[in-house]
Amino acid sequence: MARSLTHFLPLLLFVCFAAIASVALIMTLSGERKLSELPSALIGKPVPVTELPSLSNPQAFIKIEATAATPYLVNFFASWCAPCRAEAPALAILGKQIDIIGVAYKDKPEDSRKFLADFGNPYRAIGIDNDGAAGLNWGVYGVPETYLISKDGIILKRHAGPIDGDILRDEFLPLIRSLQDRE
Amino acid sequence: MLSPEFGHFCLVLALVVSVVQIILPMAGILRDDARLTHFAEPLQLIASAAIFISFASLVYAFVVSDFSVQLVASHSHSLKPMIYKVTGSWGNHEGSLLLWIVILGLFGMLFVFREATSRLKTLTLMVMGGITLAFLAFSLFTSNPFTRLSPAPPDGRGLNPVLQDIGLALHPPMLYLGYVGLSVAFALAIAGLITGQVTRSWARITRFWVALAWSALTAGIALGSWWAYYELGWGGWWFWDPVENASLMPWLAATALLHSVIVVEKRQQMVSWTLLMAITAFSLSLVGTFIVRSGLLTSVHSFASDPARGIFILFILLGAVGLPLFLYALRAGSLTKGSDYALLSRETGLIINNYILVVSTFIVLIGTFYPLALELFTGAKITVGAPYFDATFNPVMGIGIVFMAIGPLTVWRRGMVGSARPALILSGSVTIIAAVILLVGSGLSVAGIAGIALTFWLALSIGGDMLFRLRPWQAGIGARLRLPATQWGMWLAHFGMVIFLTGALASALFEQENVVRVSKGAEIALGHETLIFDGVEERIGPNYVTETALLRLFDRDGNLKDGLYPEKRFYPAERQTTTEAAIRTRLSGDHYAVLGDGSAESGYTLRLYHKPLVSWIWFGAVMMAIGGLIALYRRPQKAQRVIQPEQVPKEAE
Repeated sequence: MARSLTHFLPLLLFVCFAAIASVALIMTLSGERKLSELPSALIGKPVPVTELPSLSNPQAFIKIEATAATPYLVNFFASWCAPCRAEAPALAILGKQIDIIGVAYKDKPEDSRKFLADFGNPYRAIGIDNDGAAGLNWGVYGVPETYLISKDGIILKRHAGPIDGDILRDEFLPLIRSLQDRE
Repeated sequence: MLSPEFGHFCLVLALVVSVVQIILPMAGILRDDARLTHFAEPLQLIASAAIFISFASLVYAFVVSDFSVQLVASHSHSLKPMIYKVTGSWGNHEGSLLLWIVILGLFGMLFVFREATSRLKTLTLMVMGGITLAFLAFSLFTSNPFTRLSPAPPDGRGLNPVLQDIGLALHPPMLYLGYVGLSVAFALAIAGLITGQVTRSWARITRFWVALAWSALTAGIALGSWWAYYELGWGGWWFWDPVENASLMPWLAATALLHSVIVVEKRQQMVSWTLLMAITAFSLSLVGTFIVRSGLLTSVHSFASDPARGIFILFILLGAVGLPLFLYALRAGSLTKGSDYALLSRETGLIINNYILVVSTFIVLIGTFYPLALELFTGAKITVGAPYFDATFNPVMGIGIVFMAIGPLTVWRRGMVGSARPALILSGSVTIIAAVILLVGSGLSVAGIAGIALTFWLALSIGGDMLFRLRPWQAGIGARLRLPATQWGMWLAHFGMVIFLTGALASALFEQENVVRVSKGAEIALGHETLIFDGVEERIGPNYVTETALLRLFDRDGNLKDGLYPEKRFYPAERQTTTEAAIRTRLSGDHYAVLGDGSAESGYTLRLYHKPLVSWIWFGAVMMAIGGLIALYRRPQKAQRVIQPEQVPKEAE
């Protein structure tokens, strides 16, 4: 009998998979889980100080640090990421309202440049995060991911996934406007 | 005759018949009454026929643009070209689900006609009946394609020009042939678990259906990739997109199954593993179909909008995957035999092959579902893209190719074919020397050189294997050419892999790319070649207007080779813009041009590529599919016993 216990392994794996799927489905259907919320250990905390080589000038560095003149966004993107193409129009609108610092996540610099040539460059500055070390510090799930940071360097909001029209209108623009009104 | 109501009726009829198809033979088996078990075959044929008629009525409703059918009203239009009216019948959730069931009915029918009556056949048909039942219920209760609309609208809403594409229309049927074809092997595996008789003849039957489904799946994936290449205009052919991954996972599992079932047939080893692979391959097909069809992977919201579907899907998956795995857990132990082969043997080679394929399936599974799980739990929508798969999938596949080169040179039970060792040493050293030269002289990345070297070695080893077996320099070649079809199929499929890898590597490593913003008259360099941009002109299509860039391509000596005309199409009625890449396909490589934004004043953005050997990717895939089909052919009876006598020893020593 002991030998055949290994034959239960596939079933066990599947049961785990199915249990997760069921819980997720039930929670989603019963509305207990709001799909847009993303918990982050970093919200309300100061930004992780980050220094990255600049995409436009590899000798220079882009610094994301505790104090800035105005609130700003940090957007992780990559040329290999399809949703990043999808959020390009939203970022173009945001770029007119607020500074955006881009972080090219696990991407070759020449690929990033091509991506910007094709889909537009809304960024004030872009840092290269070749090995994903900065992404690790920020707790990035994947790309695209966007953070809103106050001028005192506090992370106010985090959004994982592409910014679509609704999220832009209902979440980002009002928050940015209220920040700018406060000044 | 072919009214939607009649189609609906036939669907209900098929559902009832498939219930009977399970119950009657079951009663027959329990009471040991052959009269009852014999009902399984005619019942399967009736169910198949009813399903076909039902589908025919749906297609008919699309053809005559019967807008009182809700599905037609929302997905068709009276002005659509006829071919897209027909293909439009499966270009939506309800219709594609019915197409899935149609193919299930087709395979059930073929199975009845091909196999001789046996207890195994009866049990397999009962399982097939169960699958049909589940899907018919899903269709009828949550996704009925025949729902009427009252009042009927004057015209349909489905004239989306982007979806009017022949590649997009043919892709689902081909892919479904593969997905659904795996259901036969799945049903055979369950029947085998129940009877406990997983014999040589079980493996022979199963192998046929696996090879058939595998070939269709290979062709279906290739078709999808080709469509993405020429239609999306991103210049790539594989994006590690969830939809693509959903088709790759069953392919990887089916490839493992295709190899392990041979071990069962020849040597009666790997029995329980093979059963597990058969269950896994079809389960992954189910997951793939549902996940893609339900829109679960693209958006959780569309899934949640129809709770009935979500819960139904969950129950089907629980039943179709959970129950067989439970049965497997209970019964597989009694089917396992001790091993009697040496470390260096065909058996070991195929076990390694299977492990590598299963590991790569897991890699794709994790890469696909991690973002999904994350989205379900947090709402975050992210991409795990090429870097993940490059770092995980590619190295594992590289190891797989090492064994793909060695495996066919081994023999059953122990050792290798006579001159394999010197041949491998020779080809190995040639490969390593070539790789070192590349490493020093070419400036290519180590990963790229490893890919080239592995492909080269694989080609050498297949060529060597063919030479050794056929020995064309000796007399009597005619007799040696009479190898079993499986051998020829294997060579062709493996060589297709070489062609595929050549295309994939060459197009990735030696691609020339230039993104420019230019005005009329500009000369643009692309590798050794030059393009001249003659401006953009407006053209008028049937229901769109275009901006068409005029490009002339010159070779390195300044001779005109061809014109390239990439377009941006604007469909005024739909207010949609699409880009149409201009692709000049040659065996030596493709020139690929895409027109970006711009104006006559500020210049236009152009993306230009030369992709060497890129079409070999699809040639290779087609060769693999044809190789699988060739392996289906078997010379009747006698040939079975004369396959390489050294390979079929007695069971125990």
